[in-house]
Amino acid sequence: MRRQNRLGMGIGMGMALVALAFDPALAFAQEAAGAVREYGNFPWLGARGAIWIAAEVHLMFAAFVLGVPIFGVVAEAIGIWSKDERYDRLAKEFIRLLVIAYSATAIWGAVLTFFLITLYPRFWAHLSAVFEVSMWVYVGLFFLESFTLYLYYYGWDHWKTGRAKLGHLWLGILLNVWGTIVMFIADSWLSYMMSPPTAVTPDTAPETVRLWSAIANATWMPINIHRIIANVVFGGSVVAAYAAYRFLAARTQEERAHYDWMGYVGNFVAISALIILPFAGYYLGREVYEYNEPMGITMMGGFMSWLWIIQAFLIGVLFLAGNYYLWVGMERIPGAERFQPYTKWLLLVLVTGVIVWATPHTMIASREELEAMGGSHHPFLGVLGVMSAKNTAVNLMILTTFLSYLMYRRANKRPVVAWARTGSMVQAAIFLAAAAVVLFYGIYGYYVTAIVRIGFSVYQVLAVLTTIISVMILDMLVLRGAESRGEIRWGQMPVRSQYALFVLVVTFTWLMGLMGFARSGIRQHWHIWEVMRDTSPWAATPALGYAAQMISACVLIFLGLIAFVFWLGGLIEKPALLPKATPAPAASPVPATMPAD
Amino acid sequence: MWATNLKIVGLVVTTVLLYTLVANMIPQLESEVPGELTFSGQVTTEQLVAAGEELYQGAGGCTACHGLGTRAPDLLTDEAGQGNVAARCDRRVQGLACKEYLYQSMTEPNAYVVSGYQPIMPDMRRTLSAAQIWSVIAYLQSLGGEVTVTGEDIAKTEQAQGGAPGAQTPPAGAATASLDPLELLRSNQCLVCHKLGTEGGVIGPDLTAVGRRADAEYLRRAILEPNADTASGYAAVAGTMPVNFGQQLTAAQLEVLVRYLVGRK
Repeated sequence: MRRQNRLGMGIGMGMALVALAFDPALAFAQEAAGAVREYGNFPWLGARGAIWIAAEVHLMFAAFVLGVPIFGVVAEAIGIWSKDERYDRLAKEFIRLLVIAYSATAIWGAVLTFFLITLYPRFWAHLSAVFEVSMWVYVGLFFLESFTLYLYYYGWDHWKTGRAKLGHLWLGILLNVWGTIVMFIADSWLSYMMSPPTAVTPDTAPETVRLWSAIANATWMPINIHRIIANVVFGGSVVAAYAAYRFLAARTQEERAHYDWMGYVGNFVAISALIILPFAGYYLGREVYEYNEPMGITMMGGFMSWLWIIQAFLIGVLFLAGNYYLWVGMERIPGAERFQPYTKWLLLVLVTGVIVWATPHTMIASREELEAMGGSHHPFLGVLGVMSAKNTAVNLMILTTFLSYLMYRRANKRPVVAWARTGSMVQAAIFLAAAAVVLFYGIYGYYVTAIVRIGFSVYQVLAVLTTIISVMILDMLVLRGAESRGEIRWGQMPVRSQYALFVLVVTFTWLMGLMGFARSGIRQHWHIWEVMRDTSPWAATPALGYAAQMISACVLIFLGLIAFVFWLGGLIEKPALLPKATPAPAASPVPATMPAD
Repeated sequence: MWATNLKIVGLVVTTVLLYTLVANMIPQLESEVPGELTFSGQVTTEQLVAAGEELYQGAGGCTACHGLGTRAPDLLTDEAGQGNVAARCDRRVQGLACKEYLYQSMTEPNAYVVSGYQPIMPDMRRTLSAAQIWSVIAYLQSLGGEVTVTGEDIAKTEQAQGGAPGAQTPPAGAATASLDPLELLRSNQCLVCHKLGTEGGVIGPDLTAVGRRADAEYLRRAILEPNADTASGYAAVAGTMPVNFGQQLTAAQLEVLVRYLVGRK
């Protein structure tokens, strides 16, 4: 209890720091300071480096504390409706960690705010003049969110049954609502920097900018949507990594079984959300082009064009590691042997897809480089670097990953419905049809103009989404009342699979840093695009090599701190893995795959 | 457990280092801030070319489109078998010498658009000074032809910009007696830069649903005094819209046009 009181004090101090950051007196003071100087300096790192680390680490913690409540409340709901207490324990275990991570988020938020005030006073004066009301609302919601979190966590065992449990679930939903609104408000500030409304010019007095028009700028909603999905991905991958660590540290079979299962659920959530994330990214990219075409060109074809090759490499790692985890996991499922011969072919498709996706084309190059290549791309391999090939590759990779999951899901089941064979054949036909549609438009895209070709990606995406939905529905019907070929041997997962979960969380975190650099970097030497120019010594947008070093530093700081949070969480309370009344997961008559069932 | 901890830390650090290494292996491109450029009257060709190359490859942002084959003509190597820009610049527009054509391309990019490309090039006067523009031209000429740019060109341009603002306003489109708003938009070349539905360019703000964000008063001013307000996101092309629509359109035509645009919601 004393530990919890100290924890509460820490959180209170963190919140107080953030509240102080928004103190009107301080705002007034920095405004006065802004009249005499535009930029501060930070030793060794410089102002930009300091802000970069503070903003990125804050954002990583923020993604964690926004993603995990979504994960937690869904797990709690599944636990209520399925009456499987493992989900309830899973949710509680993570909300406990959330309480600690929340204070870390607030502390990094305060660091960021103070750095903005002291290092970029002119910019901060503009931003606070435009958004002051939303900043007050933000602080108010921050309090609501904090106290809802306390009620949600500390009331977990108190409101455990009956209607009280539903009320408790409602608190979890409310926590997500507050968190989402807080994120939307913060997103409005950063998206305003990218795409200020048309009425705002360098001569506009910031006090005269209408608040709602500043909030509802062109990239606000695309960023909101992208971040919600990305937070779920991130939350799931951190949960999976936590479970992997606990699995490796487990001393009993019971613990191993629990954390093996938790790792599977976390990975399932992360990969499922990852599959739809590219569509949200596509929406954001389209809005950037709509808002300002030169900005879009800078992003995709300008000095940032190489960034997307790195992104393809990272996403390739994610797909490979996610599939590898599923394939290794099939070793502990009776009946999965019949699918294992196919995995090498799935691997072949994935590796080919990654190679195609990472093929450079029309990158910025010097005269010497262009001459050495004989043009803007490689004479033979360049044909794979265009969007037709890349869209085809990524859609086939998504279909392949879905097929891996389907094999995992069906591994230990024997259908009993009379039309099972027909159903499976229909599923196979849908898969083949989708692959044919994707390939057809991929090849046809080479023979049409760019504007027509862009439209083809919609058909490819629709074919893949339709397949995922229809095949999943069919699968649920085919497997209705299916016989078991044997229970999943939770806990008997090869150790190497757990390292794949660590690779996933590191890659997700690094990718988040990279995409943050892309979003922020396309403003180039503007604090606020074409409204406020960056005149500091750090105005140039750095090359990817330097950015990668900054991103890596942020990733290591975040992962180090989150490891500390996990360790701290273990000190607070040892989770009671299984109540004596319920059987161990290894012997539990729970279907082979939980979340989708 | 220490061994496991070390393995995990090793894996995490190795993965992070691998990503950092890969990102450092690719070409390193920095987005520079266009800096000030001042030349004395005795500036040499070498100085101009060197400054122009630095701008072209860096802060000028030229490489985002040129040389990639799809967005804009390849200036550095070969464009459709015609060689680089230095080999063809004096043949593009009759009566314009190479440096004059290149200057026109950078300051009035819609005056001549190479066949097969969209008019997406901004007026470079918005981001580059006269000295910078002439330096880039000198660099482009140096790719194969004779460099004819001199300090005198810079001085003349600076003098013209200082002495006669708006002197380089692009010519307006043909006048018409029609009161059909669509015909007016087309005949006055509005759709060269503005998009209307599926028709038109993307240089200026999209007019498809302009009535949602602008009222009649704003639109009237935008037509008559296009430099009074610059739509956010279009600062790079500000100043390119002709300022003579007040003389070009009759009062009735102006009102027809304004009413039509207000109704686009």
